[in-house]
Amino acid sequence: MLWTLLIAHLAGIVVAGVAGRRGIRAGLAAAAIAPAATATWAISRLVGDADPATAELVWVAGLDLGVSFRLDSMALMMTTLVSGIGTLVFVYAIGYFSAGADGGVRFPTALLAFSTSMLGLVWADSVWTLFIFWEFTSITSFLLVGHKNTSADVLRAARRALMITGAGGLVLLAGLLLVAEAAGTTTISELGPITGSSASVAAILVMVGAATKSAQFPFHVWLPGAMAAPTPVSAYLHSATMVKAGVLLVAVLSPAMIDVDAWLWTGLAFGVTSMLWGAIGALRQRDAKLILAWGTVSQLGLLVTVLSLGSGKALFAGISLLFAHALFKAALFLVVGEVDIRTGTRDIAELGGLARSMPIAAAVAALAGLSMAGVPPLLGFMAKEAAIEAGLGLSGPERWIALGAITGGSVLTVAYTLRFWIGTFGPGPATEVAPRRLAMTAPAVLLALAGVLGYVFAGQVTDIVGPAAVEANEKASVYELIRWPGLKTAFVISIGIVAAGTALGWFLSARPVGAAPRTVGADAADETIEATLRFAPDITARVQHGSLPVYLATMIIAVIAATMPFFASAEIDHLVLWDRPLQAGLVAVTIVAAATGAVVGSRLGATLTLGAVGIGVSGIFVVHGAPDLALTQLVVETVIVVGFVLGFGSLAREFPRSSESWQTIRLVLSVISGIGIMSALAFAGSRPTGTAPIEALTDEAVDVGGGKNVVNVILTDIRALDTLGEVVVLATVAVGILALARVRADEVEAAS
Amino acid sequence: MIATRSPIVRLAIQTATPIAIVLGTYLLFAGHNRPGGGFAAGLVFGAVVVLRTIAGLQRPRHADTLIAVGVVIAVAVAALPVLWGDPFLDMKIVETTVPLLGKIKTGSALPFDIGVMAIVVGLIVALLDGLSLPTVDDTGTEAGAA
Repeated sequence: MLWTLLIAHLAGIVVAGVAGRRGIRAGLAAAAIAPAATATWAISRLVGDADPATAELVWVAGLDLGVSFRLDSMALMMTTLVSGIGTLVFVYAIGYFSAGADGGVRFPTALLAFSTSMLGLVWADSVWTLFIFWEFTSITSFLLVGHKNTSADVLRAARRALMITGAGGLVLLAGLLLVAEAAGTTTISELGPITGSSASVAAILVMVGAATKSAQFPFHVWLPGAMAAPTPVSAYLHSATMVKAGVLLVAVLSPAMIDVDAWLWTGLAFGVTSMLWGAIGALRQRDAKLILAWGTVSQLGLLVTVLSLGSGKALFAGISLLFAHALFKAALFLVVGEVDIRTGTRDIAELGGLARSMPIAAAVAALAGLSMAGVPPLLGFMAKEAAIEAGLGLSGPERWIALGAITGGSVLTVAYTLRFWIGTFGPGPATEVAPRRLAMTAPAVLLALAGVLGYVFAGQVTDIVGPAAVEANEKASVYELIRWPGLKTAFVISIGIVAAGTALGWFLSARPVGAAPRTVGADAADETIEATLRFAPDITARVQHGSLPVYLATMIIAVIAATMPFFASAEIDHLVLWDRPLQAGLVAVTIVAAATGAVVGSRLGATLTLGAVGIGVSGIFVVHGAPDLALTQLVVETVIVVGFVLGFGSLAREFPRSSESWQTIRLVLSVISGIGIMSALAFAGSRPTGTAPIEALTDEAVDVGGGKNVVNVILTDIRALDTLGEVVVLATVAVGILALARVRADEVEAAS
Repeated sequence: MIATRSPIVRLAIQTATPIAIVLGTYLLFAGHNRPGGGFAAGLVFGAVVVLRTIAGLQRPRHADTLIAVGVVIAVAVAALPVLWGDPFLDMKIVETTVPLLGKIKTGSALPFDIGVMAIVVGLIVALLDGLSLPTVDDTGTEAGAA
């Protein structure tokens, strides 16, 4: 089933591309089919009780290479969010874009490609599969963020997002390598606790990778910039998908990291600073969308903080928060998009009075915002209660750090949520509003209602998030979401948070809105990227200087260096002069031809002597009983000689005179490399290991390949993968030549 | 072009072309049991292309098509077995009796070889284009191949 869904998504990308030619709305509608089917299937599995679905494609069994998927409870929950919210976002985008908008092919295909990558990431059960889909999400999100590709600012923001998440991906790869090495398996569902110093390094690397993706301080600078994307993209990427990838990673790897202190402290460092810095950032913004973006940084900090605590209660709370956050944050982004489209601005200083003119949007924003602030009767409240409980259940210094951060961050969250709502919908000069579009309103309403229903059906939500948490920590099985906890410590803290946050939010809303601050660190990130881009061509220019003789000399020196060890250890006592006298004759011809080629002055003469060398060598192959090799060598020599002759049309007859010293260098290099290769061959011939494979290969050629020509059966069957690789290289070279020829043709045309 | 001035060379290349094509085809099909194979066949065809270029005779021009066809065939032969659950690049052997030729033993290695051949010919055509030599068509007038 997983393969079917994946193929359906890939087919959907093609169909969306075709449909997109008729307009962006047709493309979006076509693209929505696959996610809708996936979401329906996932929900049906949530309701029923099914074993984890798995799918595997083994490539190299011994190296654990291949693609492996496993749809366990965590993946099922994430699939529901990714595809469910995905479907709503596609529907929403139909309303968001005007019918004649640009990018009808590009946008729906890129969005569906991103959705597909995200599913692969969520389903991955091998660290390699996880990494590959992780990178796919970076690349596809780059395309989405850079959708309005005519603006330099947008492109810079997209590039920043790509570079930070891409670099983080490499750090993650290093971390995953260490994790797989320490745990002795690459299968994520089989990871056991790892210990030792390499485990600490792995924990830090993985946490850094997760932090780049989940926009944790100081890597958060890409997220506000990514708001340059169309709002459906922001709603999707920054609620349920892209940024959740890092959080998900922290959750699925926590069984391995349960005993690693570095995991806890790195996670807390990222989480706590991001939670506070993000919330402060949200309070300083005046663009409603940027308030939400900074709020996302803060919320992700909260998630990373709670999940990195690692206890059963913490995992349960973290995954409940993850679930709740996906719902309310998507709803809030969708509302901001609607406000933007219908009023033409997102500036809270200009907006006002929308509660009357956009009552549905205001209600949705209120419900989703209250869920974010952690106010009953909403899903966000129960999740935040669980988080505070998790903090209370700790001991040691992390108890106070976690509790302090959760409390402080939550107060600020209440404050910026209130400021967001009042700024957008509250009193102010009435803003003119365009008519409502059903496609934009309905998805937001559904998501906001989901927060209410989640509270009403707390037991059912527990059945969704509970098993997912149990997979990360078995001790999570005893916890459940509680609708009304009574006057316990956590509830008292919650009341305090809401009271303090409301006061702060009210106070800040009453103050005039200041100028929009710049994102601290974004410029530094851009400058680093620019510097890299300037640095890279310099390096390339130095290494790839374009002098053929120097390239050749470099290669020969490398060969000499590689064969150097054999000079000493080659045994020549087993060598015989020749098996048959004919060999001596052929060798003599070859040597004479080679020597002539080295001194001859004309290009044609050099070419012909080189051809003679080749034919001499192929004669030696014949005598040795390798007709295949000889045939190939002969034909290659023929083509090369004729090709050279063809090239002479545009070259002088004689070689240019080269300097004395350069001649000496060439002479020395060729003599040493000749001796080196000869010693290497003598060494290889003197160290037979085991029996010669010829008989096994001959039998196998007939049995497996059905041919008597062993060489060809090796090429087309036994080692066909090598051949495939080689011909792809040939094809690539040919395409490169064609491209260069075309560039030159253009230059010639431009010159004439 | 170099050889266009010599009617003897031109005629020789013209006459040799069909022989070389037969030889190349033989190498392609014989490759499984005797010396030959897709690479050698591709080079023989490539040699024909180069010689005909020298003589200013007609030759294939679409390197990109040849390469694309070759890669598609080779990759298809490699990937198709995965669809019915066999390993990647699993080669099938087929034995049939064909009128006139009798019993024939061949397999999916043959199309793979054909793909290899197409890529090799494509590479050679691309190289010839890359040398960006002015070629001369059959009528003897210069046709710039930039």
